[in-house]
Amino acid sequence: MAAHNLGTELDLSWISKVQVNHPAVLRRAQQVQARRTVKKEWQAAWLLKAVTFIDLTTLSGDDTSSNVQRLCYKAKYPIREDLLKALNMHDKDITTAAVCVYPARVCDAVRALKAAGCNIPVASVATGFPAGQTHLKTRLEEIRLAVEDGASEIDVVINRSLVLTGQWEGSDFIKTSTGKETVNATFPVAIVMLRAIRDFFWKTGNKIGFKPAGGIRSAKDALAWLSLIKEELGDEWLKPELFRIGASTLLSDIERQIYHHVTGRYAAYHDLPMS
Amino acid sequence: MAWQHPADILLEAWLDTQDRHLGHYVNGKWLKPEHRNSVPCQDPITGENLASCLQAQAEDVAAAVEAARTALENWSTLPGARRAQHLTRLAKMIQKHQRLLWTLESLVTGRAVREVRDRDVPLAQQLLQYHAVQAHTQEEALAGWEPMGVIGLIVPPTFSFLEMMWRICPALAVGCTVVVLVPPASPAPLLLAQLAGELGSFPGILNVISGPTSLGPVLASQPGVQKVAFCGAVEEGRALRRTLAGQGLELSLALGAESLLLLTEAADVDSAVEGVVDATWSDRSQGGLRLLIQESVWDETMTRLQARMGRLRVGRGLDGAVDMGARGAAARDLAQRYVREAQSQGAQVFQAGDVPSDSPFYPPTLISDLPPASPCAQTEVPWPLVVASPFRTAKEALAVANGTPRGGSASVWSERLGQALELGYGLRMGIVWINAHGLRDPAVPTGGCKESGSSWHGGPDGLYEYLQPSGTPARQPSLSENLNYDTFGLAVPSTLPAGPETGPSPAPPYGLFVGGRFQAPGARSSRPIQDSHGNLHGYVAEGGAKDIRGAVEAAHQAAPGWVGQSPGARAALLGALAAALERRESALAARLERHGVELKVAKAEVELSVRRLRAWGARAQAQGHTLQVAELRGPVLRLREPLGVLAIVCPDEWPLLAFVSLLAPALAHGNTVVLVPSGTCPIPALEVCQDVATLLPAGLVNVVTGDRDHLTRCMALHQDVQALWYFGSVQGSQFVEWASAGNLKPVWVNRGLPRAWDQDAEGAGPELGLRAAQTKALWLPMGD
Repeated sequence: MAAHNLGTELDLSWISKVQVNHPAVLRRAQQVQARRTVKKEWQAAWLLKAVTFIDLTTLSGDDTSSNVQRLCYKAKYPIREDLLKALNMHDKDITTAAVCVYPARVCDAVRALKAAGCNIPVASVATGFPAGQTHLKTRLEEIRLAVEDGASEIDVVINRSLVLTGQWEGSDFIKTSTGKETVNATFPVAIVMLRAIRDFFWKTGNKIGFKPAGGIRSAKDALAWLSLIKEELGDEWLKPELFRIGASTLLSDIERQIYHHVTGRYAAYHDLPMS
Repeated sequence: MAWQHPADILLEAWLDTQDRHLGHYVNGKWLKPEHRNSVPCQDPITGENLASCLQAQAEDVAAAVEAARTALENWSTLPGARRAQHLTRLAKMIQKHQRLLWTLESLVTGRAVREVRDRDVPLAQQLLQYHAVQAHTQEEALAGWEPMGVIGLIVPPTFSFLEMMWRICPALAVGCTVVVLVPPASPAPLLLAQLAGELGSFPGILNVISGPTSLGPVLASQPGVQKVAFCGAVEEGRALRRTLAGQGLELSLALGAESLLLLTEAADVDSAVEGVVDATWSDRSQGGLRLLIQESVWDETMTRLQARMGRLRVGRGLDGAVDMGARGAAARDLAQRYVREAQSQGAQVFQAGDVPSDSPFYPPTLISDLPPASPCAQTEVPWPLVVASPFRTAKEALAVANGTPRGGSASVWSERLGQALELGYGLRMGIVWINAHGLRDPAVPTGGCKESGSSWHGGPDGLYEYLQPSGTPARQPSLSENLNYDTFGLAVPSTLPAGPETGPSPAPPYGLFVGGRFQAPGARSSRPIQDSHGNLHGYVAEGGAKDIRGAVEAAHQAAPGWVGQSPGARAALLGALAAALERRESALAARLERHGVELKVAKAEVELSVRRLRAWGARAQAQGHTLQVAELRGPVLRLREPLGVLAIVCPDEWPLLAFVSLLAPALAHGNTVVLVPSGTCPIPALEVCQDVATLLPAGLVNVVTGDRDHLTRCMALHQDVQALWYFGSVQGSQFVEWASAGNLKPVWVNRGLPRAWDQDAEGAGPELGLRAAQTKALWLPMGD
């Protein structure tokens, strides 16, 4: 995690001056997806890079220690060893950026990761996820407990009623959504958020992280997200401290693409270990 | 090269079918005449020879025109539905071979394949489909119009095959056949012609020959060619305009490629910066950009622009991840020269982006602090340069933006609706996008005004470019080789008293009608007007260059007021003038009678003149409409705007009716006018001016009498006259066409041919309305 955002005086004039032209942003969003179509070994490299940004996530009501354990193992070994060897990347310690679970599963995740002998951080959603409509007191308590259990990153659902009435909160990272909404991470929304991050950096020198979550399922999507970050914010943001992708099924598609790149064949689902 | 892209293999296979030797494509066959020079077609980046291309000679041009003429007989008489079917088949043919097409275009021109593949090729298909629909409805929608005939199209280097598609689609749709002259070493148009030829039926409707632009006049002089459409550099267009004067054919010009972007403080600056990228650094357009930034957001915009530039990638066009390719040595040298000159004139130059160093590439370039009066600031900005300058207020922005001879395309960036519309309407440009840049659609007319040339493609306007009113006589070569442009109409023959004054006492001498009142001419001399018996009818003023200057000035002063009038108000004033004419009927009829017109006929002429005024008054109410465009939320307004100051030289015949028939559409469309009335019988027009003086705003209508050749010369050479209609001699027509090259004003000349002013088709037909206004397409994308 990068240095914390120490915050600034709230200056609402920054926000009131912002102009966003919706059709123009939509056009930009379309272009972003078409202008950096990388192929071959460059594509493989970008895909491996994408793996390192994934917050490998399980947020189901029926999560138990066994599937969390499986998830943690996958986080440590996201791509089949032989495929990495073929790319000569097996000794680069490629893991996902974090594992993301509900607060009640943090203990399981920490234990599993310790057993696997790695120091991948555990992120926990907290504060009445996904609606955030609980009392401040229980929400704070939730964070404290998750940290106590060993979570080193907390995805906080902000109180949107405060936002809609203009009472903003600060953060180190901003997320497009919880992943549980009907519309989640979309490019037009992300473009506006990224431009806000850039403006904030130019004004204060603080780098805020960005995490799109929800609906990012294909390797192609992931590449588009990476090129979007590179285009709008630059290479400095292309590191796990400042960019994460919240996803659960994305990793398997990336692994399939790598499989195809290495072998020239398309993989069956059972060819690759599940997460 | 170790690894070859499969697309390259496809391309090589196609080139091999021609033995790497490309000729012309004429009448559905490859034409490879012997004993011609050939030029190599090269990969602009590696310099590798791809094929050799033949250079056409005059005989090859003649063969192509002959093929087009033969094809025309059948093609132009087909039902529109059959032509529609053929165009649809061509669209499908392009779809089948699109990969070959985009690879070829991208490789040879160096443009990013993404742009060719994702934009140009689909747009080419949409163009064919849109025009197929137009052909389908042609019999109803375009009744009273007929195809012009064989069209010669001249496309210079650096223009993409899409520019050719924009023009051939409407031409073919309405029943014309086409001969395209493309620069050697541009094989994509040849491939397109081959695809069209391989449809089997109708060979010869599309013929492509490759040769230097200098063959343009040869193409134009071929019998059967009715119109030449040229796109390219301004100076080349000017030269072509002069060369083709008097050849009896229509010439449409689309010149220059510079665009303009106006960024206000109320803009979404990041999106506007993307607009700059779209305009110049994404291989979408051919030219550079003039960027006007409001002073209050200057620093912010420059920071963002420079940061954005740093992320641009320049490289081989066939690489799917580049923003910008190379455009060959000529384009690079042009950019380099401009930058050096700008620097020497005190400008700051910023270059950035990921650009290969050992190559023919040129980096994205931003120029600022260029002194407004420096020579560079006046010349056209070449690709891939952006010249930024500040403005303080919206009013100043308009003054700066309109203060160039160019009138192509522009975009306005502002989130304030009122301001955006104010600027959009105020810009003297052919296309204006609000909060977007570079959008195109087959249904939207695309063109320009001023020195960008007043030709249109796309939409209804594109169709009229290749249509003429039914029954228009075929082209008569009327060129007089020995017309001396330097002396034509230069001197005014001196006029002496024409006495003896016999019969009823001649009317008092009229002055010139300028600025709303009768004035004495600068030369202080008069010319006698004789009646049909050769007796002196009266004296009119002998106007000269200074009087034309004064009249044009008066017309310019009146223009803002008249443009600001609502169509309803204009209609009311034309109606009032009609009523006044009615009251004056007996006096006017008597004047006409003195000139040998039978009283009954004279009365009919007055009556018809009254009708003309009323008819155009009614038409003033309905101008411009909204277009709906696929993939765009929001409307596109097709505005019909006044040309500005319109100079009209009326014919000698129908002294009253022709005068009114020309005046009425001009006024209805919001123009202010300077007219030269009938030379033999100017007095009825001056009589009308007595009513104009009391009814219409001063300066709106100015009538100058005198030597027609001399006055024509003055108006044709006047740089601040926006359009000129000439009805007079063959030589006068030729001179007008030649002289119009100065400010490239649109001209309409009769080439000495009479016109049936008393017939509705010729005296009040839609052709007059089309010529009396110019189109502007205003794009208004919407979203919350």
